Amino acid sequence: MRYRIAVVSILAALAVISVAGQTSAPFYNVDKEVRIEATVREIILEPRYKGTAPFLVLRVEESGSAKAFNVEIAPSWFFGQDVHGGEKVKIVGSLAETPGSVPTIIARELMLRGETFKLRDKHGFPSWQGGPKRNRGPRRFGSS
Amino acid sequence: MIMKNMRRLVSILMMAVLPAWGGTVNFLFNQHATQNLFQTKDAVADQISIFSLTLDHDFSALSFLAKAEYSAFNQTSGMSFFTADLGFDYLVTAGPKSAFYFAAGGAGEFYRQTYDAFSSLGANLLGAFKTYLVPSSILKLQWQGQYAVYKDSLFDFLSQTAALSIDKYFPTRTTLKADAEYGYKYFLHPYMPEPAEPILATILMSAGGPGGQGLSGTGNGESGGGWGGRQYQGGYGFIPRYSSEGGGAGIGHVSASLLAAQGIGDVIGLSASAVRQWIVSGENPFLSIEEFYFVQNPSSDSFSWDGYQLNGRITLNLPWDVALKTGYTYSDKTYPGVESMGLDGVPLGVVRNDLRHLLDARLQKDFRRFSVFLAYSYVDNTSTDPLFTWKSNYIMGGIEWNLPTGRKGGV
Repeated sequence: MRYRIAVVSILAALAVISVAGQTSAPFYNVDKEVRIEATVREIILEPRYKGTAPFLVLRVEESGSAKAFNVEIAPSWFFGQDVHGGEKVKIVGSLAETPGSVPTIIARELMLRGETFKLRDKHGFPSWQGGPKRNRGPRRFGSS
Repeated sequence: MIMKNMRRLVSILMMAVLPAWGGTVNFLFNQHATQNLFQTKDAVADQISIFSLTLDHDFSALSFLAKAEYSAFNQTSGMSFFTADLGFDYLVTAGPKSAFYFAAGGAGEFYRQTYDAFSSLGANLLGAFKTYLVPSSILKLQWQGQYAVYKDSLFDFLSQTAALSIDKYFPTRTTLKADAEYGYKYFLHPYMPEPAEPILATILMSAGGPGGQGLSGTGNGESGGGWGGRQYQGGYGFIPRYSSEGGGAGIGHVSASLLAAQGIGDVIGLSASAVRQWIVSGENPFLSIEEFYFVQNPSSDSFSWDGYQLNGRITLNLPWDVALKTGYTYSDKTYPGVESMGLDGVPLGVVRNDLRHLLDARLQKDFRRFSVFLAYSYVDNTSTDPLFTWKSNYIMGGIEWNLPTGRKGGV
């Protein structure tokens, strides 16, 4: 009996912890997915969501239409990849409902310099922690 | 019954913990095959299986990393080893175009008895700054300090590197990058106490001729098991210097590198780079050094050499999430303080110099949750020390499985 109570308590605590960190962030809506080709005009690092590291945001200009977008890439990617102003990129992502005149795209895929970076899966779940983030800085502690 | 309940409990806890973790769980399995494990003229083939588990989690701008890895050697099982890493890093913005990055961590490497002298505990600190001078140009500064203690205290060291880089992207899709680095490694007590008999006689007695067994592993009284590959065919084994004065020894370098990268369409990426490194103070404190495939050798690393390295690389981004990367590297490295020796163990009076050709290729296919890769390398190394003139093929294959446990929203 004690054993069951302990298990239930642990599960309840873990469930509370998992819910506690959630924020009311813009949702990745697969029905609003777009694909654009653009040129990077500016790279900024700014807080986007409560309780997360600052996000790398690209201010881009769509090829052809010259329409401006803010493209939300990932938290902390700033140190792992060097994106430059003037670079051509292809972006697959979801148009997010955010305040402001410039529309925001939550990026799922970023194609840059012939390389494709998968930032989220097809359902919008983040995958940067297992991907580009590991290039963020030297993490092989203890190595020469 | 108890076992059945325990299995059920573990499964339930895993399912509960992963969402609660809110980070990433990464499993990795790699299989390596080499024709020359010890990278000497006396090739010893082996196969290595690597199992790795990494946990990664962000707490706002603070990240936590924990990693455990086991490398199992099929033929020379005495070299199998386990490593564990724990670390935190922290990102601080300094305006919209700049950020500081700090990391701290500790690591342990634990070898089985044959290589126990290389078992170590270490700590690492890192500070970095990155800023956009203009949108097309990035400036980076980085400092890294490291301390490690080994089972055989001859290898204990403190080191630091400071680096600066600047790059520029041009509308022709060309990137130019320049790096400069200063590094200094200080071995705290790398010398053996002066023996009663002459050093040369000791080396001759213990080298044991071609493919010899290296210096008799009296060690410094702490290791008991000797060093490196001396117990295997194919190596002198590590050879220390003797000194009646004892004390530490440092070796410092500066390096400069240039890189040019060019994108061609969406598919092809080309790059070429050159590195020149100069030893500006001290020399290697050991008489003979070795490097091994896949085993971190504390007597031979990025601080050890003076010389240059050239690299060319092609990246092909193919359909169906397949990427092919292939490259060629040529290096000319001299190891100040390290003597070339004949196969009979007699010093040749020449500082060791190695010329190396390296060809490598890697094919990777990404799936939704995991990646698989196949890689091949070929090395042709010519050295003024005939033991280290060797060639080898390497084949690697592996699977990496990422299990992100974040939420679907903005984060």
